[in-house]
This record gives sequence, structure tokens and C-alpha cells, in this order.
Amino acid sequence: MGNDMLRSKFLTAGAAILATALSASTALADITILAWPGEPAESAFRKVLDLYNSTEGAKNNSKASVIYFSQQGFKEKMLADVAAGSKEFDVMLTATYDVGLYAPFMTPIDDLITDDVYKVVSKNSIETQKYEGKTYGIPTDLSLHFLYYRKDLIEQLNTDPAWKAKYEEISEKILGKKLSPKPADQWDWDDFIASALFFTKSINPDSPTRYGTVLQMKNLLYNIMLWQGTVASNGGNWRDKDGNITVDSPAYKRGLEIYKIITDNEATPGDSSTYEYGEANSVFGAGQVAFMLQWNAAVPEFNDATKYPTVAGKLGLSHEPAGSEGPKTHFHSLGLGINKNTEKLDEAKAFLSWLATAEPMKLYAKEGGSPPLAEGLMAEIAGDRPEMLLMGEHAAKYGFVMDGATSAKAMGIYTNMAENFTGYWTGEMEQDEAIANVVADMKKAFAQ
Amino acid sequence: MSYSSFETKEQASARALLVPLCLFLGALLGFPTLINLWYSFSDVSFQNMIGTFVGVDNYVAAISNPKMWQALGFSLKFALICTTLEVAVALVLVFILHPLLIKRPWMTAILMLPMMVSPALMGVMYRLILNEFTGAVPVYLEMAGYAVNFLGRGNIYKTVVAIEVLQWTPFAFLILLTARQTVSYELEEAAAVDGATGFRSTFHILLPMMKPALVIVIFVRFIDSFRVFDHIYVLTGGGPGNLTTSISIYIYKLFFVQNTLGEAVAVSILLLLMSLTLIVVAMRLVVRRS
Repeated sequence: MGNDMLRSKFLTAGAAILATALSASTALADITILAWPGEPAESAFRKVLDLYNSTEGAKNNSKASVIYFSQQGFKEKMLADVAAGSKEFDVMLTATYDVGLYAPFMTPIDDLITDDVYKVVSKNSIETQKYEGKTYGIPTDLSLHFLYYRKDLIEQLNTDPAWKAKYEEISEKILGKKLSPKPADQWDWDDFIASALFFTKSINPDSPTRYGTVLQMKNLLYNIMLWQGTVASNGGNWRDKDGNITVDSPAYKRGLEIYKIITDNEATPGDSSTYEYGEANSVFGAGQVAFMLQWNAAVPEFNDATKYPTVAGKLGLSHEPAGSEGPKTHFHSLGLGINKNTEKLDEAKAFLSWLATAEPMKLYAKEGGSPPLAEGLMAEIAGDRPEMLLMGEHAAKYGFVMDGATSAKAMGIYTNMAENFTGYWTGEMEQDEAIANVVADMKKAFAQ
Repeated sequence: MSYSSFETKEQASARALLVPLCLFLGALLGFPTLINLWYSFSDVSFQNMIGTFVGVDNYVAAISNPKMWQALGFSLKFALICTTLEVAVALVLVFILHPLLIKRPWMTAILMLPMMVSPALMGVMYRLILNEFTGAVPVYLEMAGYAVNFLGRGNIYKTVVAIEVLQWTPFAFLILLTARQTVSYELEEAAAVDGATGFRSTFHILLPMMKPALVIVIFVRFIDSFRVFDHIYVLTGGGPGNLTTSISIYIYKLFFVQNTLGEAVAVSILLLLMSLTLIVVAMRLVVRRS
């Protein structure tokens, strides 16, 4: 009996030593990451991967590589892949607005969210990667909107008496009220419209730009995200506290009207109904408009004199114009989470744990990414990326997420809004019809 | 061995030879058809790919949705206009260029170039070429005193039609040119000797001889234009509103964006039934006439 026990203890100890030795020498497998394409984030992320492969990855003998789908239809392709059980990628994209849709195909990573992670990325941004209490992604990019404007033009508008007089005349004639120019950070939506009219050549032949602003009105869900600051700033929301749909409201009508007035007065390019991010940048960058609402990702481009010499050095940034509730901006985060089908869970977790540390996040920010850094790190990076401080400030002060906009139905609702609201702006349907269609769709979606 | 037993043996071996093909088609077409039929009668989404039987609910939802009829109307109108324009332009080009292309056949390859570009890329190209500020066409037209906004709400329909016609007229041209070249020179010469030249020769000899090819071109181009997707999706996303939403874009959005897989498949099956009816009627007409 004693010998048996002794032998058993020896065997157990031997097995433990063997297991420890094996685990110490077992290398992790290589992993593949499916990330969001497009500059500057794409190049920045490749630099981060190089760092991983030469440091932490090399230590674990696990190499990380990245694949991209094209931006057009990215989410649809990713959805089809994960639903089909694809193991082609181990780490995948997450976004605030569709975390609910992809949650069934992802592995929660709450065990990775330690106190140290909060010292690197802001707590708020981690919250935007949660669905039904579970965290699905490490946020890598914060997306919100700025009012981009030409400092030289808006300054002249506020100082030149002839311009001021013309501005007052145009606002009185078209909007029915005499408005005076203001600095961009004091604008409300009437000032936004009046300035768009003033800087439009067909209305003001002396305008230095052909159009006042450029609206992105392609039938695309991201364009609705860009627009809905007009609604939130006037107190609008998708739903109230009781879950009732509140789209048929003065706030939504006002938001729709703002784009409609600008479109009908041709203060935005005539082909704006096919415009999205890239087109708007090229129009603003070419000096054809005086200001625009745009995603924060465009800032590094406009500070690059080789790319946009007309604008570089003259770019002003502000929050969106104010409504009755002050200025607001839609915001969401993009991040990276784990494909539920992966067979390399440990490797994927090892990568995400490393990604949520200071060194890779700082590198990503320096190279052009927009990580939602915690305050301490944000201050460190501010010298290279001054607009990132503004991003943090705007997200905290003005950021909103519509009620229900992280649910599994959010993408469909945004798409339906895009169909109907772009239809209204371009005269395909009446405002009441567009709103009624959206309300009906939302009722159906949230009832399921 | 009697004639009838020989025929039976031949029929039997013919049937045996068809078996692999039938199995192949059964696997590649039969399985997806059965799955799609199940989906069309089920409440199915990406989160629930097995689905729950809901009877004809998806068909009722599809038929009662005005957007489906709007998209179907767009596709029908688009296909009719594009097919008519493509075949007409191709025919004219065939009659004008035929003498030249006989001497310089390599020039045909140049005319085929638009066809070699992927339709999605075509959409991206025209997004740049027709842009009001950066596009070559509007800029040169403006220099000439004509300001045309090709992608504006007033012109977008004409623009997507023009892109389709520009890309696929070469296909119609190629088929019709081949048909034109099969008309024997002796026949044309004999007709000329009998006094049939120009107009009479074209309408009474060449066109009747090219009729089978013409029917095929019309048929293929109509089907192809009817299921248009790529360049419109890239250029307009189906908008503004639903102005340029074809039935393919509509199904795509139902499936991938709205996540209502059952309804999307139901629309596809309705479309398949409509197309099959059309094909059967058209083929009967063609066979009867020929």
C-alpha cells in the first residue's frame, strides 16, 4: 500500500513535470486577423503587426498576419463567413453599431479586460464594445464627427463688412430671418445652413468656393450616422425609455429639413446623392466648399500639404453645430475580437492581450490610427496627433449612441433610414412618407 | 436485330451516358434548390440557419411589399431599355464596320475592351470619371460650355443605363458580327445581281439570315441586364431612395443587411418562376418560328 502510494506520487509528479516542460516548449500557432481596410488605419495596423511579430509574437513563436476585404460589402462578407463557420481568420472586426449582430459568432473576452487595460484604453470605449453585459472587442479606433472648415474663409466671413452684409441679406431672403456670421464653434444649425448658402456661387456670385458645403447622401448606412447629429442635438432618439419608437418627432423632422434646405438650394454638389467619405474629402480638399461634416479619420489627410495643398494649414476643426440640446456627435468604436469558430483561442487571446497594452496602442496612434486612449496616454501622444485630444473631449462631452443602435437589428435600421431619408432629400418621396416607412420598419425589427 | 430493339439499346446507352451529368446537376443544382425551398418557407437568419417553418409567410411578405414591385419594375424597364439600345447600336456598328473589320480583324479586339472590365470596377471608374469636380467628362464639357451633372438626381437613371450600354454593346456586336460574317458572299452577290442592294439587301437578306443570332443576343442581354447589380451598387448603392434599386440589389439587401433570409429567398424563387415562364414562352416562340 505504501509503495503503491509512493509510486502514484512519483507518477503524478513526473506527469506534472512533463506537462510543465511541454507547455513551456509548445509554441503558439500563427493567427490571421481580419481588419478594416483603408488609410491611414491600414498602414498603421501593419506597423503594429510588425511590432508584434518581432517582439511578443517572436517570443511565443506565433506570427500574426492580416487580411482585408474591400470596404464595400465588408460587413456582409464577414457575416456570411462567420455564419458559415469559417476558420480563415481568428481575430475579427467589431463595431459598436453591429456588436449585437455578430455577438453570436464571437467569443466574449471579459477575462482579458483587466485594470491594466483601462490604463491604456478609455473605459467608455470598452463599454461601446459590449453587448448584453459581455465584452466582445478591444477598441482600436474611435470614430466621431467634426465640423471641418476653412479657417481663412470663416475668419473673413466674421470680419469683412461686405461679406457680413451679404450673409445677412442671403439668410433673410432664403431662411426668412436675418442672421449674422459667427465663429464656427458657436454655430447652430441655422448658421450652418446660412453659411452653406453664402458660400454657394449660384446664390452668392462672389463666393470663393463653388458650394457652401458637401453633404454625403449616398444610400449608405454610414451617411445616416454622419447626419444624425442634427437629430440628437435637437433631443431626438431612436426610442424612448419605454422602448417606443420616437422617429416621428420634431427632432427628426428638423434634422431631415436641414439637409433638404441645403440640397434644394443647391448649396451642396449636385451629385451628392452618390457621395460618401472619399468624395466629400476630395471636394473639400480641392477647395470647392468652405466646410463640411466629416469623420475624424480625415484629419491627418488634410494636414498633409502634399495631398491637399489648398487646405493644409487652413483647416479648422470644431464640434458639430448646436441644436436645442447643444452640439452632439454620433460616436462608435471599431475594435478587434475573437471569431467563435477559431481553433486558436489562446493565440488570439494572447494577441489581444498584447494589443491592449501601451506600446502597440501608442504606435498605432503615431502612425495614423485613432485609438481611444486613456487620458494619460492621450497626453503622451498629443504632440504627434493634436486632434486626438479633441476626439477624447468631444466623445466625452457630445458623444451619443442612439437607443437600440447596438442591437442585432441596428444595421438593417440604418440601411432602411438611408433608403428613405436619401429618397426624401432628393425629392423621391415626402418627409412624412419617409418617416412612416422608417417607423414601420423599426417597429417590425424591434418586435422580432 | 430489329430496328426497334436497336433503337431501344441506343436509347438505353444514351440514358446511361446522361446519368453522370444528371448526378452532377442534381448535386450542384438540386441541393441548393431544396435548401432554398426550405428557407423560403422558414423564418431563417444568420443567427438561426436551420430556420423555423412559417408556411407561406415569406411569400406573402414579399408580394405585399411595394418595394419588391418597385425593384422589379426598375429591373424590367432597365433591361428593356438597355437591350434595345445595345442591340440597335450593335447592329448599326456591324453594318458600318463589317467591311473594315474584314480587312483588319484585329480591330475587333479593341472594340471588345469594355467587356473585359469587371462591372464593379466599371462602377468605380465612372464614379471618378463622372465626378463633378475631379471627373474628366464634366470638366471638359464645362470647358466647352456645357455643365452636365451626370451623377445628379436628374441624370442618375440615364447614367446607369449608359454605363450598362457602353459596357455590353460590344458583346451584342461580337455575336452579330459573327452572324453577319456567316452570310455567304455569293448570296450577297447574287442578290446584288438581282438588283437587291443597300436597304433591300439589309432588310430582306442580311437581317433574316442573322435572325437566330439576333434572338439569342436579345435574350442573353435581356436576362443579363435584368439581373444588374455590380455597377449600380458601387455607383449609387441603389439610391437615391430606391430610385436605382434593381431586384438583385433588393434581394441582396434583404439577405445580407436586413438579415431576413427567408423573404430574400422567397423573392428569388418568385423571380425564378417568372423567368422560367418567360424562357419557356420565348423558347416555344423561337422553336415554332424556326
